[in-house]
Amino acid sequence: MTTKEEYARGKKVKVGVTDLTKRYDELLVLDDINFEIYDGELLCIVGPTGCGKTTFLNTLARFIPATQGDILVDGVPSDPRRHNIAFVFQEISSIPWLNVEDNIRFGLKIKRLPADEIERRVETMLELVGLKPFRRNFPQELSSSMEQRVVIARNFALNPDLLLMDEPYGQLDIKLRYYLEDELIRIWNELKSTVLFVTHNIEEAVYLGQRILVLSNKPAKIKEEIIVDLPRPRKFDDPEFVKIREHVTESIRWW
Amino acid sequence: MIASEFFKKGSKLFLPLLSVAVCLSIWEVLHLIIGGDFLPSPYQVFKEALRMFSVKIGGNTVWMHIFYSLRRVVIAYLLGAATGLPLGMYMGWNRTFDKVVKPVFEVLRPIPPIAWIPIAILWLGIGEGPKIFICYVGAFVIFVLNAYTGMRYTDPLLIAAARTYGASRRQQLFNVAIPASLPSVFAGVQNALSMSWMCVLAAELVGAREGVGYLIIQGMDMYKPPMIMVGMIIIGIIGASLAVTLRWFERLVCPWRRDLT
Amino acid sequence: MAQRPNIKIECRNISKMFLTEQYTINVLDDVSLQVEENEFVVVLGPGQCGKTTLLNCMAGIIMPDEGKVLMDGKEVTGPGPDRGVVFQQYALFPWKTVMDNVSFGLYIKGVDKSKRNATAQKYIDLVGLQGFEKSYPHQLSGGMKQRVGLARAWANGPDVLLMDEPFGALDAQTRYSMEKETLSIWEKDKRTVVFVTNNVEEAIYLGDRVVVMSCMPGHIKSQYPIDIPKPREYTDPRFLEMRRKISNDTELSL
Repeated sequence: MTTKEEYARGKKVKVGVTDLTKRYDELLVLDDINFEIYDGELLCIVGPTGCGKTTFLNTLARFIPATQGDILVDGVPSDPRRHNIAFVFQEISSIPWLNVEDNIRFGLKIKRLPADEIERRVETMLELVGLKPFRRNFPQELSSSMEQRVVIARNFALNPDLLLMDEPYGQLDIKLRYYLEDELIRIWNELKSTVLFVTHNIEEAVYLGQRILVLSNKPAKIKEEIIVDLPRPRKFDDPEFVKIREHVTESIRWW
Repeated sequence: MIASEFFKKGSKLFLPLLSVAVCLSIWEVLHLIIGGDFLPSPYQVFKEALRMFSVKIGGNTVWMHIFYSLRRVVIAYLLGAATGLPLGMYMGWNRTFDKVVKPVFEVLRPIPPIAWIPIAILWLGIGEGPKIFICYVGAFVIFVLNAYTGMRYTDPLLIAAARTYGASRRQQLFNVAIPASLPSVFAGVQNALSMSWMCVLAAELVGAREGVGYLIIQGMDMYKPPMIMVGMIIIGIIGASLAVTLRWFERLVCPWRRDLT
Repeated sequence: MAQRPNIKIECRNISKMFLTEQYTINVLDDVSLQVEENEFVVVLGPGQCGKTTLLNCMAGIIMPDEGKVLMDGKEVTGPGPDRGVVFQQYALFPWKTVMDNVSFGLYIKGVDKSKRNATAQKYIDLVGLQGFEKSYPHQLSGGMKQRVGLARAWANGPDVLLMDEPFGALDAQTRYSMEKETLSIWEKDKRTVVFVTNNVEEAIYLGDRVVVMSCMPGHIKSQYPIDIPKPREYTDPRFLEMRRKISNDTELSL
């Protein structure tokens, strides 16, 4: 098993979170959370139901202010004007009045990228998510899993400093979920983005993550850090995979 | 942190009071700009109110006038509820009945209650009758519409669930459809009350000898703008009080929506 | 001599079509399924492949265009208390407390108050919701709501329980615990169950037999008896082997 030191060797820290705390009046939701996200890493976060995962993400994305603590991106306090933190929600957030390719173009236009760069990225993303034949369709005409992929493509196209994904695949059937997870890995490999993937699904975390952080129950702390150094593509019935999955399950021990 | 706590607790009262104070100030300024006769000052209105409450106008105290208006509204409103709610619900529940009644209703509905005044007088004379009738028409239409919508748009899943428990059509109606439509009905209940209360003024403008509308007419006849304004303010306050009472009642009857109000 | 199994509920050559302006969708095409008494059958298939339609036909909520559903040998003509349903969106009555929801079926039947509350209490305890009898659905989490749904259906004492992706809206961990709980209730209070899901892990965990459906047209592709003794382990090698086998057999619906 790779140790943390071996894993961190040669890697650059992209995002550093220190002493992150969130308190609502008397209720302590996040308790002194410390961790780092490395450049180009696919990091998964799992936790028991009701552990404050949503608060955690919202605080990280700066949607709500933290009570205490710092979030540094490239060594500098995170700043929405300067840094690009993209977010894929659980609920599908495709723009209904734009077709697929315009949806992908949307964020790029807002960032005022040069036109040829925008087109290049749109083409790349359409290719990567396999939605080229549907480029002119509107989201309502597609199935919900395809809609979600449009949102993912839109977010990846921005080449964000950090992409936060909150259980984007919900409760799709397992086969479809694996297909989409493979697609996610393909995009991630191609674009070398830094991704933080939050999920309740332990198997999904083990399948995707290079590293897994386990959150404790409220008030949430980082309970454990697990390195997953299995080769890809990973197999759910591989004994090593199963071992790691069981380990994480034990660590969460919700029920 | 005492200051912030105090501010939080105080702000509940503070903001509304501040807003009232601001309104009164604006009113005073407008009065000074526009001129005493067209727009009396807040103080003048207040003085007039004190005077009105201490004398009899047209043979009745102000409280009596309020009572007369309220009585008309309440009677009309209850009649409207008693006839409108069952009708609306049945239209929503029974498709055939809906098809039969709807065309007639759709034609009558756009006729404003005020337009019914002449024919109401023709049918019911010049007494309490037409006034109550006008308020009734206003309330009735709203009750029917809201009951209808509530019933029609009952979640079909809940009906399906009831059916799987062997509920008969009648049981589905009383145990599922009607409770499910209550929130919509209550929205209608609020609207119908506002409507009735607004209609009572229109009704009283035509040949009334008592009621809040009568007070306003008197103010106009005697050329006393402050009196007109007192009448309007009374109408506003009573309307608001009725709405508050109704909301309290709704919370009582629909506790499962407590978190939504 | 082997005893002939008692067929509790069966679908014979069910077909159902949905017509729109442009085309006709063959949601179900000549589907036949037999379920034995006290058997736990899971119908597995990706989204939109007619499994819910099949369940609704069995419940009697919709009628097939062709073929028929038989319960104890008699044709089904509509919904009834002999076939209880657990819905994915819970379908709890928001104006009723947990106790009133759970005792609903008994109330409709005309059982008197003390008796029906006692029965309801038994099932409320069974699903672990003691103390929440007077709560309203909006005060409960998704997992708790579905437990009420389960208790309500079970408390009415139906011969057959039809469960339509009941845990589809719950997160993975809550789902695992609900699966465990369903199994334990079923062990204590055995009934015929037809359970619909798109989750192969869930299917293998719960089912005595897994029926794999294909889409468009909706059709039974294959059936897999699961011989692993219950309660099963998701990471047991036999379980994983079964999962790989069945997974390869299911379709990918994009």
